[in-house]
Amino acid sequence: MAKPKVAFYWCASCGGCEEAVVDLAEDILKVVEAVDIVFWPVAMDFKKKDVEAMKDGEIAVSFINGAVRTEEQEEMVKLLRRKSGLVIAFGSCAHLGGIPGLANFWNRDTIFERVYKEVPSIANPKGVLPKTKTKVGDMELTLPEFWDTVRTLDQVIDVDYYIPGCAPPPDIIMNAVSAILEGKLPEKGSVLAPDKSLCDTCPRSEKKPEKISMKEIKRPYEIIPDSEKCFLEEGIICLGPATRSGCGEKCINANMPCRGCFGPTKEVIDHGAKGLSAIASILGIEDEEKLSEEDVQKLVDKIVDPAGLFYMYSLPSSLLRRKKI
Amino acid sequence: MAERIGVYVCKCGPNIGDKIDVDVIVNDVNSIKNVATAKSHNLLCSEDGIKFLKSEIEKEKLSRVVIAACTPKMYEQKFMKACEEAGLNPYLMQMTNIREQCAWVTPDKTAATEKARSFVIAAINRVLLQEPIEKKEIDIQPDVLVVGGGVAGMEATLTLAQKGRKVYLVDKSPCIGGLGARFEEVYQTMECAPCMLAPEMQDILQKENIETLTHSEIEDVVGSYGNFSVKIRKKARYVSEEACIGCGACFEPCPVEISNEFDEGLSKRKAIYLPFAGALPNVPVIDKDNCKKLKGEECNACEQACPFGAINFGDEDKIIEKQVGAIILATGSMLFDPKSIPTLGYGKFDNVLTGLQLERLNASNGPTSGKILLKNGKEPKSIAFIYCVGRKEKGYCSGVCCMYSVKLAHLLRDKLPDVKIYNFYTDLCLPKKEHQRLYNEAVDKGAKFIRSDGTENVTRVGKNLVVQYKTDSTKKKVSVDMVVLASAVEPDESTEKIAKLLDIPLDEQGFFSEEHVLMKPFGTPLEGVFIAGSCQGPKDIADAVAQGGAAAGRILSKLIPGEKLELEPKVAEIDEDLCSGCSTCITLCPYSATHRDEEKKIAVVDDALCRGCGTCVAACPTGAARAKHFTKEQIFAEIKGVAK
Repeated sequence: MAKPKVAFYWCASCGGCEEAVVDLAEDILKVVEAVDIVFWPVAMDFKKKDVEAMKDGEIAVSFINGAVRTEEQEEMVKLLRRKSGLVIAFGSCAHLGGIPGLANFWNRDTIFERVYKEVPSIANPKGVLPKTKTKVGDMELTLPEFWDTVRTLDQVIDVDYYIPGCAPPPDIIMNAVSAILEGKLPEKGSVLAPDKSLCDTCPRSEKKPEKISMKEIKRPYEIIPDSEKCFLEEGIICLGPATRSGCGEKCINANMPCRGCFGPTKEVIDHGAKGLSAIASILGIEDEEKLSEEDVQKLVDKIVDPAGLFYMYSLPSSLLRRKKI
Repeated sequence: MAERIGVYVCKCGPNIGDKIDVDVIVNDVNSIKNVATAKSHNLLCSEDGIKFLKSEIEKEKLSRVVIAACTPKMYEQKFMKACEEAGLNPYLMQMTNIREQCAWVTPDKTAATEKARSFVIAAINRVLLQEPIEKKEIDIQPDVLVVGGGVAGMEATLTLAQKGRKVYLVDKSPCIGGLGARFEEVYQTMECAPCMLAPEMQDILQKENIETLTHSEIEDVVGSYGNFSVKIRKKARYVSEEACIGCGACFEPCPVEISNEFDEGLSKRKAIYLPFAGALPNVPVIDKDNCKKLKGEECNACEQACPFGAINFGDEDKIIEKQVGAIILATGSMLFDPKSIPTLGYGKFDNVLTGLQLERLNASNGPTSGKILLKNGKEPKSIAFIYCVGRKEKGYCSGVCCMYSVKLAHLLRDKLPDVKIYNFYTDLCLPKKEHQRLYNEAVDKGAKFIRSDGTENVTRVGKNLVVQYKTDSTKKKVSVDMVVLASAVEPDESTEKIAKLLDIPLDEQGFFSEEHVLMKPFGTPLEGVFIAGSCQGPKDIADAVAQGGAAAGRILSKLIPGEKLELEPKVAEIDEDLCSGCSTCITLCPYSATHRDEEKKIAVVDDALCRGCGTCVAACPTGAARAKHFTKEQIFAEIKGVAK
């Protein structure tokens, strides 16, 4: 029997997800043994036309990482969708929008303005900005259109499953691959990671008090947190309560709070809003009655860049999706 | 089986019928998927309407019902009952308000119709996702806790205890009787209050089914109507209630003397003391902050003097837990402190007293054994009463100060026939049937009533006090020996703490808020917690007693031994597979209904305690906490119905 064909593709992402595949170490050999990689631009030389030449549905699985922000990315993911049996959104950016999704606080014009004119490292006296078409002599150069809004993969094409994480850890990837190869997949649309949030596996939860409250807000650089205490107890915002587990608690073990790369649990529509609502609920709760409006404002003001913090990985997948400009 | 939704749009006579094109709505929604029938009715809440609704549910074999009518606050219960009687789970009915929210506020008929149509569509979307909820019943605890042993609390206690029901009466002071027991005579009968109250107090202390816990305070309350669990701190008395017979041998040898708060600071008491002669229970208490021995000094004078070995310096606070079905708060009131109005000279000049201080001077068990004396031991020849002290500051008329002042004027004229009495008032509050007569009689007895503008000013000139006042736009003054300030009534200092403990609201004036000011003045918004007496607002004895009786009556008629209590069905539940035990909900639950299951490492909701407020649902970061009947899916479906 022919080996199932597999494709990897990246869109708006940092490349970490590609590294994650390589990070499988010797396990990648098992993958290569079991499947036939037919498209992987970062590692192997295939062209778009090779994919176009395939029959619809010929690729068993496409693993696509990165958010969708350009015309080219949109075109490629639509092509892969047509050619693939399953499409897996791989990593935070494809799943939720990820860090590139924070660009939804701006639009194309403001981003171009900043990147090509304002940043201190740019020398662009003529103020040239990228264009989709440029005449060079009698030749015309083209670039893909840069959209105003970064989208998650499932806002552009139908997605079958999600592998979360920035980047997804090897065990989560291997479990997903095994599930696909063995045909033991859950309901379509599932995130291939545990359903509970991070507190469930957090090594600090043993010592967590029954009632949790935050007296004040501290940023990680301001204190050296006690490595056994719940971050919230110490005043450090941790999105662990609102974020899906399965990451291996790498950040926590490095004495850093969770920033939410695994996204929300399955019952939650808006990850940032849920995190915000939970944190806001326990902030200053012990002496709530004694706090004046001003005290509350002071407490809340200690959260620097709340939108960027609570939606660090999930702005495009939120209810509002972007800032209105 | 396919869903069959019945949509019923009520015209509410002309209320909705004239403002909204009901037929358009009925016609439009009839074609929506799963809608089996859509009809209008002239008045769904009428007898005929209910009959129609029931017959429709049966005839059309409806699986769900949408009613577009008035606010659910009016007749939701009635429609739910109709559904139940027709064999449909009442939680499969959804009401939408097209009267208050459309017909009455949107004048344009087309716009109102469009708005109402979207409401009905929203309700159809929602009702499809609603789930049947079965009501649960729990056993109730018929015992009752009464907090505060003043006249209101005593009346409630005795009313409740008549048929053998167990009542726990808790009072923070070492004795029961409240403020009333500190008055010699009370208006309007001029009866001796301690004599009037003594049989009641004895009754309370002797009835087997009443457990009186004096020198005690409630510390924690969890639970809900029918099943409250209360923690009471019984403070160490250091005198055994069993061994002590109240002989008083311990007072004399005690070397400590401090100001007696029960005589409003007009007398001294020992560190081991009874608040006043005749206080019940007749068991002294040791004031641990002032007792030498308890402060670590060398002394055991009382222990040596006690013939019964009743002194126990090793006594400790005890936490007593009681299970009760209802709670009556009768925590009373106190007087506004006139020190905050410096122009009245209170606390600055001798012989400027509050009404309550004069009550104590007049009391035969008070500091002067009932003699009205100035600080120098002489009888006063002239006394001025200043009314409405604190009315402006507190922002309300206490309603009892005029009458207690009129009463005191009577008593003073009886005791000191030659004393001159000046009453400075701005408005007189004489509301009850006997009050005018009492006032007239005080005037007849020679008490002078002078209407002033409320800007009285008290100064000291030589040995005399001078009251300056303004009447008929003229400034005048009068020299007197004594000034009595008719202070306003304000909530007892424990009120705020107790409100927080029970999570019940206070009103603007700081008294407990009523469930309904007019219709349920003895209830609070928290079911099973009642209020009686002046903790609800200033009151005289008769009103406090009436309210105590009313609160007790309400409990007797609802909390019946052997009967079960229906629980709130719309409670929160926690999905075990989703909860990660983050504890957010446990911190937030205002009713202590969530707790951690240590074995499963998740949060669990106690159905009997949950009141369905939804706080945990909103805060739960994983969506594990869900509110029955208010699920995320139901709410979003509803929003999608109205938002285009």
